[in-house]
Amino acid sequence: MAMTYEARLAWQNRLLLLPGLVLLIAFVLIPAGTAIWLSLTNEALNGAAALNPRFVGARNYVRLFTDGGFWNSLFVTFVFVIGSSVIGQFVLGLFAAVALNRPLAFRQVFMAAILLPNAVPEVVAGFIWISMLAGGEHSTLSQVLAPLGVPSQQWLQSAPLLMIIVVNTWRGIAFAMILMTSGLAAIPADVYEAARMDGATARQIFWRITLPLLRPTIFLYMLVSTVGTFAIFGLIYTLTRGGPGGATEIIGIYIYNQSFTAYQLGFGSAVAVVMLAISALLGALYVRILKVEV
Amino acid sequence: MKFAMLRTGCSLAILALAIGSASAATIRIAEHRQARIDALNASIPAIEAKLGVDIEVVEYPAPEKDYFSKLLTELGAGNAPDLFTANNDADVPDLVAAGYVADITAAVQSWDGYPELLDVVKRLSTMPDGKMYQLDSMLSVSQIYYRRDVLDAAGISTDQPKSWAELLDRVREIKAKTGKYGLLLPAGTTWGGGAFYEGVMLMLVGTSTPQILNADGTLDLTGEGIADVLDFYKTLIDEDLMPIDPLLGPEPWVIPKYEMFPAGELVATTCGSWCYIYDWGPESKNPIPDVTDAVGTWAVPNEDGSGSTVTVGGQSIWMVNAKGADTEMATKVLLELSAVQPTVEYAKRLGNIPARRDALDNADFQALPELVPVLQNAESGTYLQSGEGFSAVSEGFARATEALLRKETDAAGAQQILIDYTRNLLGDEMVK
Repeated sequence: MAMTYEARLAWQNRLLLLPGLVLLIAFVLIPAGTAIWLSLTNEALNGAAALNPRFVGARNYVRLFTDGGFWNSLFVTFVFVIGSSVIGQFVLGLFAAVALNRPLAFRQVFMAAILLPNAVPEVVAGFIWISMLAGGEHSTLSQVLAPLGVPSQQWLQSAPLLMIIVVNTWRGIAFAMILMTSGLAAIPADVYEAARMDGATARQIFWRITLPLLRPTIFLYMLVSTVGTFAIFGLIYTLTRGGPGGATEIIGIYIYNQSFTAYQLGFGSAVAVVMLAISALLGALYVRILKVEV
Repeated sequence: MKFAMLRTGCSLAILALAIGSASAATIRIAEHRQARIDALNASIPAIEAKLGVDIEVVEYPAPEKDYFSKLLTELGAGNAPDLFTANNDADVPDLVAAGYVADITAAVQSWDGYPELLDVVKRLSTMPDGKMYQLDSMLSVSQIYYRRDVLDAAGISTDQPKSWAELLDRVREIKAKTGKYGLLLPAGTTWGGGAFYEGVMLMLVGTSTPQILNADGTLDLTGEGIADVLDFYKTLIDEDLMPIDPLLGPEPWVIPKYEMFPAGELVATTCGSWCYIYDWGPESKNPIPDVTDAVGTWAVPNEDGSGSTVTVGGQSIWMVNAKGADTEMATKVLLELSAVQPTVEYAKRLGNIPARRDALDNADFQALPELVPVLQNAESGTYLQSGEGFSAVSEGFARATEALLRKETDAAGAQQILIDYTRNLLGDEMVK
C-alpha cells in the first residue's frame, strides 16, 4: 500500500533528523551514560583499580558530599558565575549594546575593541593576563597602579577569585553585547517614539520599555552564559590551576584535578554527573522563567 | 579492462604490504621538556644504526604533572608510546599494578651494562618481589644548596648543620642578619610531586621513622617522623623563614628557584645536582656566576644529630609499555638509552648523574666537574622505599603541606589530611 503524502513527509523529516540524532547519541548520550557508569566504580588511571575496576555503588557520591574540597569548589563556582557571567558580562554587555545602539563616532571601532577579546583563545588570553597580573612589581597592573600609591603585589595570589572574575568578564562582554544588540534591534522603533511623545525620560524608557522587552533575550543569555561559565576550564587552568589553595578551583578544575591529577576517574565522574544535574536544573529553571516551549 | 585494473590494484596493494613489512620496526619514545628531548635526540642516530630500528620521539607537555597525566591517559587507552619514563621511582609500583609496564628483569640482568650499575640503582630498580620493571638510567642526588657568598658576607657559618635544631637555628640567623628567607622546602599541590620528593622525603629519611612502607605492602602514615617533618615545615612557615606566596601560585618553583635564589633573596633550598647545571649553571636562563663557588651544599642533617643524609632517587626511569607492539625491541632500545654516552648527554643538559660507574671514565662526563664528585659519592646515598599507592601518598603530602602554607592547620592536622586523603583513595586496609 502506497504511503500518503503526509506519511512520506514524516519519514523524510525523521531521516533528516537522523544525522543529528546519531551525533547526539555518539557525542552526548553515550559519554554521559559512560560517566554515570564510571561514577559507580572505582575506575582509576593508575594503580590496581586501573587494571581491575570494581563496582562501588554510591560510595563516590557519599564521599563527594562529605568532601570539603567539593563544597569549596561549588561555592567558588557559584561566586565566579554570578560575578563574571550574571553581573560582569551582562551589565557591561548591556551597557555596551545600549551605548552603541545609537549614532556614535567611531562606533565600529568600539564594537571591534569589545569583540576582540572573544576572538582570543582561552589559553592565549590566560597567558596575556598572567603578564598583566603575575610578577609582583613587574606586572603590568602593579606598574599602572603604582603612581596611584597602590602597593605592588601578586594579584593572582592576593585577590585570585576577583582577578579571574575580571578576566572572564573581559573575555565575555562581546557575547553579551551581541545578544543584547540583537534583542534591542527586535524592539519596534514606534514603541520608543510613542513613549517620547508621551514625555517619557531616557531613564523611564530604559526601565519601562527596553528592559522588559529585552527579557526573553536576557534570559536566553543567562541560560547560555551560565552553563557556558560552569564549563570554563582553560582560562582558569592557565591562570591559577585552581590555586592558591583552592581559591579559584571552579568545578571544571576540580573535576580535572580529581580525574587527572589524583587519577580517580570514578570519583571525578561522580563530580561531573552532579555538575550535569546542576546544569540541567538551571537550564530547566531558566526555561520555566522564560516561559518558552522547548 | 576491468580485470586488468583489478590485477594492477592488487599488485600495488601487495607491494605496499611487502615494503611495509620489510621496513625497520618503529619504536616510539615519550619525552618531555626541551632539554630532555635534546638529550634524547643526540643519542638516537647511533641507536638507530646499531639496532636497525626507526625511533620516533613523541614530545609531551613540559611540567612533570601534565606529562604524567597525559601519559597515563594514553596508557589507559592503550595507545601510549613503546618507551617512557616515570618522574620518580615511587610512580613505578602503581604503573606496575595497573599492568602498564613490561617485566624487563631477564634483559637487564643479562645486559653487559648491568655490572656497571651502581648498587643503589639496582636496589631502586627492583621491586620487592625481585622483578625489574624499570631501569633508573640516571640518578638525582638531593641535599640542601645554600648561597655561600651570602653567608660569608653576613658572617654566618657555612659548616654542615648537625641536627634539625641546628639547621633551624642557622635559618633563623640568616633571617635575623640578612632579612632574607633562610630555607625553602617545596610544598603545596601545584608543585606536583615536588612537595614529597624534593621536600618531605629528604627530611623524613633522617627521622626516627624513616620508612612508610610496611613489610606487608601497607603504608604507615602515622609515624612520629611524618609529624616531626610537618612540624618543621610549620615552624618555617609560621616564622616567615621560607617564602610562601610563590608556592601557592601555578608554577611555584619559578620565583623561588629561578629568581629569588639567584638574586640572593632566598639563601638555601633543597635541590638536586641538576641545580648546578640546569637551575643556576650553564643551562640556566638566570645563571649564578661561578656557581660552584657561590653555592655550597649541606647534606640534610638527621633530626637527632646522629648524622646526615644525601637522598638519591631515579631519574630518566625508563620503562617498556606492556601493550607496545614490539616489547623486545623496545627493551633493547631502553638498554641502549642506559649506556654511558646517552646518559652523559642527559647529564650535560640536565645535571643528573649517570647511574653507572664507568661514566667516570667518559671524557664528556669528566668535563662536568660539578657532577664527578657527586657520582663518586652516590653509593652512600639513601632513599625512601616506595610501593603501591605512593602516587596517592605524594598527593596527600602535597595537600598536607598546602594546608600548612595556608596556615589552616597544625602539624597534627596536616598529618590527618594526609591520612584521610590516602585512605579515601586506597582504602582503610591499605593505610595503617
